Amino acid sequence: MKHPVLENRVRLVVWWLAWLFLAAGQSLSYYFAYGSLVIFSIVDPVLSLIIYSALALSLWYPFAFINKGEATILSRALNLVITGALSVTLWVLLSKLLIPLILPGEENFEEYWKATFYYRAGSGIFIYCLTILTYYLFVSLTNLSEKKSREAKLESLVRETELKMLRSQINPHFLFNSLNSVSSLTITDPGKAREMVIKLSEFMRYALSKKDEQPVSLRSELENLRLYLDIEKVRFGDRLSTEEKIEGACLDIKMPVMLLQPLYENAIKHGVYESTESVRIATTVKLIDGYMEITISNNYDIVPESRKGTGTGLSNVARRLELFYGNNASMNISAENGIFTVRLYIPSECK
Amino acid sequence: MANIRTIIVDDEAPARDIIRHYLGELEDIEIVAECSDGFSGLKTISSMKPDLVFLDIQMPRLTGIEMLEVMTEKPVIIFTTAYDQFALKAFELNAVDYLLKPFHKRRFLDAVSKAAEKIRSGAETKEPSGILENKPEPSSPVNRIVVRKGSAINLIPVDQVKYVEAQDDYVMIHHASGKALKQQTMKFYEENLPPKDFVRIHRSFIVRVQEINRIEPYEKENYIAVLKSGEKLPVSRAGYKHLREELSF
Repeated sequence: MKHPVLENRVRLVVWWLAWLFLAAGQSLSYYFAYGSLVIFSIVDPVLSLIIYSALALSLWYPFAFINKGEATILSRALNLVITGALSVTLWVLLSKLLIPLILPGEENFEEYWKATFYYRAGSGIFIYCLTILTYYLFVSLTNLSEKKSREAKLESLVRETELKMLRSQINPHFLFNSLNSVSSLTITDPGKAREMVIKLSEFMRYALSKKDEQPVSLRSELENLRLYLDIEKVRFGDRLSTEEKIEGACLDIKMPVMLLQPLYENAIKHGVYESTESVRIATTVKLIDGYMEITISNNYDIVPESRKGTGTGLSNVARRLELFYGNNASMNISAENGIFTVRLYIPSECK
Repeated sequence: MANIRTIIVDDEAPARDIIRHYLGELEDIEIVAECSDGFSGLKTISSMKPDLVFLDIQMPRLTGIEMLEVMTEKPVIIFTTAYDQFALKAFELNAVDYLLKPFHKRRFLDAVSKAAEKIRSGAETKEPSGILENKPEPSSPVNRIVVRKGSAINLIPVDQVKYVEAQDDYVMIHHASGKALKQQTMKFYEENLPPKDFVRIHRSFIVRVQEINRIEPYEKENYIAVLKSGEKLPVSRAGYKHLREELSF
């Protein structure tokens, strides 16, 4: 850890000012001890506290060393007491040596020294404790703010990762079944096979290239979804049909990329996969009071499925809406009379 | 030598096309039918009794796995699917091979010759005793149970199952509108019924928690679960522990 005072000029000034206060206090106490105001009782505290201040600055290093690692409280306390005893002794000795050198020719020094000795030692111990407490205060404040900034960083990282994770992953079954259709079409209808490979490539390029979370227009989302549905129509033939009713005013509204794809995938998984009847997926988009309402519905076979879906597709879409728009977007789901409907409300001014 | 009579069951037309095309080059294989869903597949297989079936897994109305569960006379099966998580289970169901879509012609022909060998050697398709001792699948719990009653196939929604009772190699499924016997293991149901709804209260009983009306002590350290319908089921010591955990009492 860096030195808390030396690393910052403002703190250094505050540090010295604080010592001035201490010097004033000490000078007062020496006055009481010695009984009369002499030049010493002003000059001595100032000088001795300049010495102590330098000493206290260097105390940071043993302090940081003592508190490093997993030492027990007892051993820390013991180390601090020893350091304190040593530094106070050192300070008293230095004062005794240096002050007569700086203020020579004072005859009363011996007497003065004796009279103020206990006050000097006491204030040394007091200042030592104060210094250590200041350092402790500083360390805990630093830890707190570091922890806070770490948490904030972590939170934004988690959010970013979550958004990426929630982005529709291309279902491997879709990919492999489509490739199987291509493999088959190369024999029965090579032209159609080529068309399908191109559509599949375009779809994959769109799905894979948009790595960042930059919003895209409804127009490009729909174009991409048409590719997806066209590919599925080759697999399922008459069993899948689609219908679109899109208000032109909505086409340039921005939205999260690949937001709708899981909803269509759901319609195919629970609609087309499970039904021998033809399944129709209808998409309606319109503006209502500043919101874009996207409705995707499909008919489905009411016979229970072999295994129930886990609902991850739908909950991922809901979670993405929440991360993107906060409370300003919503999704509702209904299943009535063999029709499954998902409705999204997305703010339209997010252009 | 007689031709190998073959049925293709797959709900995607292009998938059937390629199998038909590959088989077209083989002289001793005769395609007798093609089906596009599990129900019609099952019906066609039991009426035509083919030697070989190419079977997709994910299909409307019945999955390939469910078809095999209720098939009485099993032809030789080659699974064709993009769902590789089923591979293990398919082999447990005595499939002769498992083709992952899309597959190469060479790989396809290997599978066919393996099947032909099995058919020609007359090796009997083993009875499915214990084969449904499934590894727990990563997928969600079962949502329906397919049972055969005479020639009829019934789908019992799991919502309607009250309890499952062990009966030798079979299980008796007691549901809202009767009961049905199925060749399956208790372990399968213990692992594949929705765990929040069902508890194994005894070696021979798995019961829907909501069906339990009360639990009464019975002899020392034993209990009896009284269902809403009035039926009484034994609760073992381990089962009592499971119940306590589930209901936290």
